[in-house]
Amino acid sequence: MRIFFATDIHGSEVCWRKFLNAGAFHKADVLIMGGDMTGKAMVPIVESNGGWEVTLQEQGHVLATDDELLAMEKRIRDRGYYPIRLTRDELAAWSADQALVDARFKDEMLRSVEAWMALADERLGGTSIRCVVSPANDDMFEIDPIIDRAQHVQLGEANTIPLDGFTLVSTGWANPTPWNTFRELPEDELRTRIDALVATVPDRSRAIFNFHAPPYASNLDAAPQLDADMKYVAGGQALVPVGSKAVRESILEYGPALSLHGHIHEGKGAVKLGRTLAVNPGSSYEDGVLQAAIVDLDTKKGEVKRYLLING
Amino acid sequence: METTSSEASAAPAAPTLFLRNATGLVKGWSGFDAFVYSFMAVNLVTLGMFYSLAVFAYVPDASPVLSILIAAVAVTFLAIAYAGLIAVMPRAGGDYVWQTRVLDGLPGIVVGAIVGAVGFYLVSNALGLGDAVGLGAGAVGLVVGGLLGRLRGGVGFVLAATGWWFILAMWAPIYGAILKLEFFQPLAALVGWSEGVTFFGSDNGTLVVSIIVIALTAGLVALGMAGYARIQRICLYLGLIGFAIMAVLMLVFSQADFQAAFDRANQSLFGVAGAYQKTIDDAAVNDAFTGSVDPLAMGTDVVATLGAAVVMLPFMLFWILYPNWGSTLYGEVRGSGDFRKVLQGMLGGIWVTAALAIVFVLLAAKTFGWLFFNATNVNFINWFYGYTTTDPTVPIWSYPPLLASYLIDFPLFQIAMVVLFGVWFLGWSGTLFLSSTRMIFAAAFDRILPERAAEVSDQRGVPVVALLFIMVPAIVVSVLYAYSADFRALTLDATLVIAVTFLGSTVAATILPWWKPDLFNNSPIARLKVPITVASLIITLILAYVIYLWLSDPLYGIGVGNTNSIIFLGVLYGLAAIVYVVARLYRRSQGVDLDAIHAEIPAD
Repeated sequence: MRIFFATDIHGSEVCWRKFLNAGAFHKADVLIMGGDMTGKAMVPIVESNGGWEVTLQEQGHVLATDDELLAMEKRIRDRGYYPIRLTRDELAAWSADQALVDARFKDEMLRSVEAWMALADERLGGTSIRCVVSPANDDMFEIDPIIDRAQHVQLGEANTIPLDGFTLVSTGWANPTPWNTFRELPEDELRTRIDALVATVPDRSRAIFNFHAPPYASNLDAAPQLDADMKYVAGGQALVPVGSKAVRESILEYGPALSLHGHIHEGKGAVKLGRTLAVNPGSSYEDGVLQAAIVDLDTKKGEVKRYLLING
Repeated sequence: METTSSEASAAPAAPTLFLRNATGLVKGWSGFDAFVYSFMAVNLVTLGMFYSLAVFAYVPDASPVLSILIAAVAVTFLAIAYAGLIAVMPRAGGDYVWQTRVLDGLPGIVVGAIVGAVGFYLVSNALGLGDAVGLGAGAVGLVVGGLLGRLRGGVGFVLAATGWWFILAMWAPIYGAILKLEFFQPLAALVGWSEGVTFFGSDNGTLVVSIIVIALTAGLVALGMAGYARIQRICLYLGLIGFAIMAVLMLVFSQADFQAAFDRANQSLFGVAGAYQKTIDDAAVNDAFTGSVDPLAMGTDVVATLGAAVVMLPFMLFWILYPNWGSTLYGEVRGSGDFRKVLQGMLGGIWVTAALAIVFVLLAAKTFGWLFFNATNVNFINWFYGYTTTDPTVPIWSYPPLLASYLIDFPLFQIAMVVLFGVWFLGWSGTLFLSSTRMIFAAAFDRILPERAAEVSDQRGVPVVALLFIMVPAIVVSVLYAYSADFRALTLDATLVIAVTFLGSTVAATILPWWKPDLFNNSPIARLKVPITVASLIITLILAYVIYLWLSDPLYGIGVGNTNSIIFLGVLYGLAAIVYVVARLYRRSQGVDLDAIHAEIPAD
């Protein structure tokens, strides 16, 4: 059985499309998305003199035609941002009222996940490729039922999913971050959640953990250190472990065959923890590159046969 | 038609981006941090004074100030090329991934073929197989290199493994030599420990200091960059204080004062009478030293002046080639401002250092005397690298801070100066193995090296196996370096191999906007297509020319005039190629297709 695992694409439309095509391209049986699917930024495209003006990555653009407008919107979506058409008056109103921004963010996130699930149904329908999507700490709770409604996608969060003799258990909850995001738990509560999930697995040696937070001090969790002002220390050179101790301890205790992680985009890697292969494919979603792990599992022996980290 | 500008034109006072609270969004980073890293990498004391600013005697017609300026200008283009790569692929964070991603298909084949052809031809000639066989070997190298380049990731691995891993094993004893000459020997002399001076001057002493360096730098990797960054910043401030003290001393004292102080000190420390004039006389007799042009002399023949400065460039790059040493990640939601900040950090490293270097050579000429300064350097360097067997006039190197400290006839002050300048080494040495371990990690994640190479210890997250991968060869090379003057003479190979690696990345930067337009056009510097290409092309041509000089001109002690050097280089590149090919074959036997690593999945 071949698993294709990607994570942390943060709204990048091109990465989602690549993810859906990866099953056929890499001959995978199961696609697993590890969460943090929704974008972090909205880019206003402002009406101006019959055209549009937009600033992307500190470069101003004046768009004269609809084709240019559509191309710019695609470029923004591929980067993981949401393009928002606004009038100058609307922009001024948004600038003065954070509630307007928050409401639109929510709309955009839900709308994009709806569209992504529709695309998944369209592309995966008629194939034997299974797809599991598990939201994570940066994803609002309202996207869970949208995923659950998709015909050809299974919701990972808190579900026990049999996979050809293995059992997949997922959670996108993470240990606390400086950003206080949607799904964060103190370590002891996270451990309780994990234990409850693992209790549903018939054979723990054939378990596959899909836990968004990487294990602590595993090299999969090395993130740039931040100072009190949320700025990089030493220009991003200083890396510190920020993973979950609960995740680490549960891996070492239960010894699943495979443990899939994300969360830390810089933490690309694969390590052995006890008998478990733990992987974090990392993320370069903003470049339109889909980083992923391809893992072949031996269904007879119940172990990892081979793996590869890719930049697709 | 769509138009672009560098300034936001849509409602300047209004926001151009709305962010929500999400993991990883940071408020940016300090450009000063990038400057510190770059400034310490382009290290005025440990690299500049130790080598590049000490070898003007070997190109006596080269204007020192012009040589420094030309080198700084050349490396400025390198900074632009690397800032461009960082802006387009920030998380990739290194030559290995940049080259692997960009040098695929035809560019990979061409780069592989050129490296292969040149390598096979040079090794064949070094083995004395004759011109005909050499040409045949070159043709074989062309094919072999081209085939390796055709394999996705092949060229990237060979160039990065040699430049960021293998050759850093050679830098370990070079660091050892620097520490020995700039710290242990001067201190031993100043405290009157003559046996120590002798020991550290011996082969055994060289090896011991190299082992100390290996242990120190491995320890700093274990400490982690988070801790080391704090040390580095303190070292920067203390180092600049030390430099200021030295500069003031050199400014207020006269050349006559210095001559008296040098004579007094060497009479006292080593029993050498009239050491100042004796050094000049000995250099003339033993080292054929006839003097060098003054730092500010430009000559009347502009072409000859420029030509001599260009000949100095391969020496200067030993010191100033590394402003990009800390190229790494800079966040997700970024703009062209980050590009400018990265570039400013590197340019600050280059140009502040170059300015201090010019101040230093001018003060050295004023106070030490330019004739003496070059005489004492050539007198010691010729002996140290085995160009002559005649002992130098003074048994320890004329380390500039030590020379300046002689102006104050107070041993404790002299000791304090040497210790204070030691921070230039401490703040610089920690990154020696850090870069190697990251490259080893990347190769392990790409399944070229065993997965164990990326393991870290449970308690402190120390990359134990990766450290062994670099420490063991470093110890082996340190033994060779300590006991073989022939091997010490290969010092510039350490720079050459890194320059070849950088050349691979500058080629990648040159073609990036045109070969990977989607990637480039989606970056914050999309409108800098032409400037990035032009700057990258210029530094590509400069590096290619400098590499040609290293390989062809016996002046540099490596290249075709030194069989050992070519064989050494052949072993390095050959070993990297073998590791890559064996890894591919082994992984294929496991059913792992390494080509899949970089295969782009279609989006539609």
